[in-house]
Amino acid sequence: MRDLRFHKDIYDAQAVAGAVEVYNRFADITVREEGEHRVVSVGGKTPARERKVALELANYALGLTRKGAVA
Amino acid sequence: MIEAGIQKPDLNFPAFFRFRRLDGTYVVTNAQGDFVLLTPEEFRAFGEGTVERGSALWDRLKQGNFIRAEFDVPAAVARLKNRKKFLQGGPNLHMLVITLRCNETCVYCHASRANMDAVQTDMSKETAEKAVDLILQSPSPFITIEFQGGEPLVNYSVLQHVIEYAQERNRAAGKQLEFTLVSNLALMDEEKLAWLLDHKVQICTSIDGPEHLHDKQRKLVASSAFKAAVYWIERINKAYVERGLDPTLYHVEALLTTTREALSRGKDIVDTYAKLGCKALFLRPIDPFGFAEKTGHKVEYPRAEYLEFYRTTTDYIIEQNKLGVQMIERYAAIFLTKILTGEDPNFLDIRSPAGAGLSAIAYNYDGKVFAGDEARMMHETGDDTFLLGELGKLTWRDVATHPTIRALVIGSNLDARPDCVNCAYNPYCGVDAVHTYKTQGSLGGRMRESTVCSVHKGIQDYLFNKLRENDPAVMEIFRRWTTNRLREHHIHAPE
Amino acid sequence: MSTGSALEGLPKDLVAHDPAEGSVTITVDASVYPIEALYGAAYIFIDRCYVLIDRPRGGSFSVSLTPKATAADEALRAMVGEFANELLSQAWRQKILEENRVILETVTTQALAGAMGPPSLDDLAAFDFSEESFEDPLGIAMSWEDKYKKKPEDKGASKPEGG
Repeated sequence: MRDLRFHKDIYDAQAVAGAVEVYNRFADITVREEGEHRVVSVGGKTPARERKVALELANYALGLTRKGAVA
Repeated sequence: MIEAGIQKPDLNFPAFFRFRRLDGTYVVTNAQGDFVLLTPEEFRAFGEGTVERGSALWDRLKQGNFIRAEFDVPAAVARLKNRKKFLQGGPNLHMLVITLRCNETCVYCHASRANMDAVQTDMSKETAEKAVDLILQSPSPFITIEFQGGEPLVNYSVLQHVIEYAQERNRAAGKQLEFTLVSNLALMDEEKLAWLLDHKVQICTSIDGPEHLHDKQRKLVASSAFKAAVYWIERINKAYVERGLDPTLYHVEALLTTTREALSRGKDIVDTYAKLGCKALFLRPIDPFGFAEKTGHKVEYPRAEYLEFYRTTTDYIIEQNKLGVQMIERYAAIFLTKILTGEDPNFLDIRSPAGAGLSAIAYNYDGKVFAGDEARMMHETGDDTFLLGELGKLTWRDVATHPTIRALVIGSNLDARPDCVNCAYNPYCGVDAVHTYKTQGSLGGRMRESTVCSVHKGIQDYLFNKLRENDPAVMEIFRRWTTNRLREHHIHAPE
Repeated sequence: MSTGSALEGLPKDLVAHDPAEGSVTITVDASVYPIEALYGAAYIFIDRCYVLIDRPRGGSFSVSLTPKATAADEALRAMVGEFANELLSQAWRQKILEENRVILETVTTQALAGAMGPPSLDDLAAFDFSEESFEDPLGIAMSWEDKYKKKPEDKGASKPEGG
C-alpha cells in the first residue's frame, strides 16, 4: 500500500476525487482525511504497479487542480 | 547602475527608463521606444540628476523624453500608439498548406512533408473554398494568402482555384489582396510561370548558400535542387523585367535557414545571394519545429556561434553595400525600423504581442485551423495545443475570440514576461509564445534560457554598437534598410 | 533521504534526494514563492516528472519531483536547477501581471477587438435576444409604431390628427 498526501490548501477536493475516480480501475484506492491532508492509499498487485498508479494519480490531481484554478 | 558609480540615484530627475550596459556604453530606452546612448559619466549624471540644464546632454535627454520634469505626454502617447497600431488590424497573413507532398527532402524541414504519392495530404477545392470564405471575414483591410506545403506546386490546380475563387469573393469583401507562393521551384514550368505572373503572385524560395551546401541539405531526386531553384530565380527575375517591372523592387525573394554547416560559409552565402540578384538575406537561425527536432544533433549549434556568424556576415553585407551591392540583412532591417523610425514593420515573430493567432492563421490541408504556422507544425508532430478548430465549423468570431489566441496574446506580451519587462530592448523586441511553449513548456518561457532571446539580444547589441560608432556610410546604409517601398504590383485591389 | 552527490552544490537544507525513490524534494519559502508560482512551475514538469506539492509546515511548500525515466545524477541536478529557475520565473511573473494588469488588459482587449471586427450578419442572427427587457414605464424604448398602433378595441377610432 502506498500513501499520497494531498494538502487541502494545495489540491482541491474535486481534483483529488476526480483523479481517484479515473485511477480506481487500475488499483485499490481508498481516501481518508488526516488533519490538513486528504490521504489517498493506493494498493496494487505489485509494488511497482502501486508506485506507477500513485504517481500518475498525483500528476492527474495536479492537472485537475490547475484546470479548476484556470476555469 | 552600481557599475556606473551611481552613489545617490535621483528618483525625480529621470522619467521612466530601462538600460543595458554595452561595451562601455549605456543604451537607455523608454516605454515608447526612444533611445539615447550614454557614456558612463553621462549615465551617472542622468541617474544622479546632476545634468546641467541647457547642456548638450540635457538637450539629448529632453529630446528623447527622458527628463521627468520635461516629459511630453502627448508625444509619448503618440509614439506608443504608433508602435502598437497593428493591434487594430486583425489577422492579415493566412497560410494555406495546400499539400504535404514534396519533391524535396530537407534536413530541417518544418513542414512534416509527405512522399509524392500521399495524395490524401492534398487540400481539396471544397476545403480551400471554406478557407477563403473564412479568411475574407478577417477585419484586416489587407489580406495576404500564402501558399505553403510540402511543395505547393504539387497541388497546382487548387492553388489556381484559390486565387480565382478569392478574387471573385473579394468583389464583395473589398480587401487589398495579395498572394504569395513559397516554393522550391523545382516543379515550375513556363505555363505555370505565365499564369502566376499574370495573377501577380509574389514568389519566394529557399537558397541555403552555394550549390554544395544547398544540395547537401535539400535533396531533389536525380537532380540538383540548387540548379533548379537558380534557373527559375533567374527566369522569373527576367520575366519581371520583360513585364516592365523595376528589378530592384520586383524579384524572387529567397530565404536562408542557417544550419551548422552554414556557420562557416557566411561570405559564400552572401555572394551567392548577390549573384542571384536577391536584395535581401535573412540570416535566420534554425528553429525546433518539424524535422529539425529530430535532426538537431546534426544541424543545431550554440547561439553564441550563430551570433558570431551573424556579426561577421552582416559586416560583410555592409561592406558589399559600400561597394554598391544593394542587399539588406532582414533581421537588422526589422530591428532598425523599430529603433530608428518608431514604426513597426509588423514582422510577426518580433512583435509584442506576437503575431501567432492574432495576425497569422494557418489552414492545414485537412481543414484544421491553427494559430499560425508553428502551431500547425506542432500538430504534425502530435501536439494540438494551438488547434483552433475546423473549417466549416468555425465562424470568424470563434477564431477571434478563441481562448488559445487570448492566451497567446497575453503570453507573448513582453510587459508580462520576466526579464523582458526590465529589458532595454523591450520596445523593439518580441518572442513568439508558441516557440517558448515548444522549447520551455510555458507561453511566457524563461528568457535567460531562450535561444530566441539570446539571438535577439545579440543582434540588437550588434546594431546599437554600430549606432554608437556612427559611421556615416553605415548610417546611410541603415537608413536605406529602413525605407519600405511598397510593392503595389502584387496587390489585387477590390474590383 | 540524503543530500548526496546528485545534488552537490545545491543548498542542503532546501533540496533533498531520495535515491530509493529516485526523487528530489525542494523546499521553498511560501512568502517568496506563492502557490500560483508552484502550480505553474510544477505543471511544466509533469510531462517528464511525477510531481507532488505539500506544505510540510506553515510558511513553506515542498515539491517532490520523481523523473519518469531513470535519471543519472547530472540529469537530476539539472532538473532541480531548471525547476528552481522556472519557479523564480513564475513567481516574478505573478508580480509583473499584478503590476502591469492595466496595460496588459488594455493591449489584449484592443488586440482581440481588432481581430473580431464588427459583428457580421451571421453573428447578429445567432445573437440571443430572448432575455427579458428592462422596465420601460414611459415607453421610451418602444418604436413610434408600437407605441401608437391601434389597439384591437380601438379599431373604429380615427387617427390622431396632425401635420
